[in-house]
Amino acid sequence: MRRNLYLYLALACFAGLLAIFVFDGYMGLYDTVHMVTGEQRITVGPDFWIQQGQPFGPRGPVPFEGSGADYFISADRGAGISFTYEIDNRRFSAFREEVDVSVWRSQQKLRDMISQPVAVPGFAKGEVKWAIDNREIVPADFPSEQTFQYTMVIRSGGVERRIVVSLNPIFRLEKPIIQ
Amino acid sequence: MKLEYVLYGFGILFSLAGIGYLAATYVRNLSEIGKLASLVLTVGIFASLTRYFREIGW
Repeated sequence: MRRNLYLYLALACFAGLLAIFVFDGYMGLYDTVHMVTGEQRITVGPDFWIQQGQPFGPRGPVPFEGSGADYFISADRGAGISFTYEIDNRRFSAFREEVDVSVWRSQQKLRDMISQPVAVPGFAKGEVKWAIDNREIVPADFPSEQTFQYTMVIRSGGVERRIVVSLNPIFRLEKPIIQ
Repeated sequence: MKLEYVLYGFGILFSLAGIGYLAATYVRNLSEIGKLASLVLTVGIFASLTRYFREIGW
């Protein structure tokens, strides 16, 4: 009877170990970027940032250390893109941070999109929404047959998410192929 | 007969290596308190199993 007790104890410890893995994996801060442009709906989930070595952190934000991960999307030059930045707070404490969004190109800031505080209670989700019109970003003298790229930089709680947007070129035929 | 034991040995070794690899992958993403609790429970598992094997006469 007593020897079985130690066996059960070992099994209980093993079950506890598995429970910690599951519980600890669930807990934490997770962010997702949703984008809608034209007919495309793109979601960049926390798995992408974790695989790139930039998690929000099991218990809090991890400071950004450069060489960040970029997520690439393409869009039409005449279209707009609507963004939703979602923060899933699976912690007991509230998440209170400023979300700053800006548009960059060639290491230069083109414009600030939004800057607003976000407060997400424990085990709740919060989101920030904004939209951009690509026509306002592309300079008027930029050749239409070239791809134009800009980067949407989302900073929150010490982490940085970069979405590189490639605007498709517009080709105009100077003369019809079939006459 | 001896070959069977060698194969058993390889099987056990590869199983342990696989479990170790998986555990290391999980532990890397654990929080500090989670790592500590996992360490304590792992020690508990080995201590209990040691005691169990001693009780049954190994």
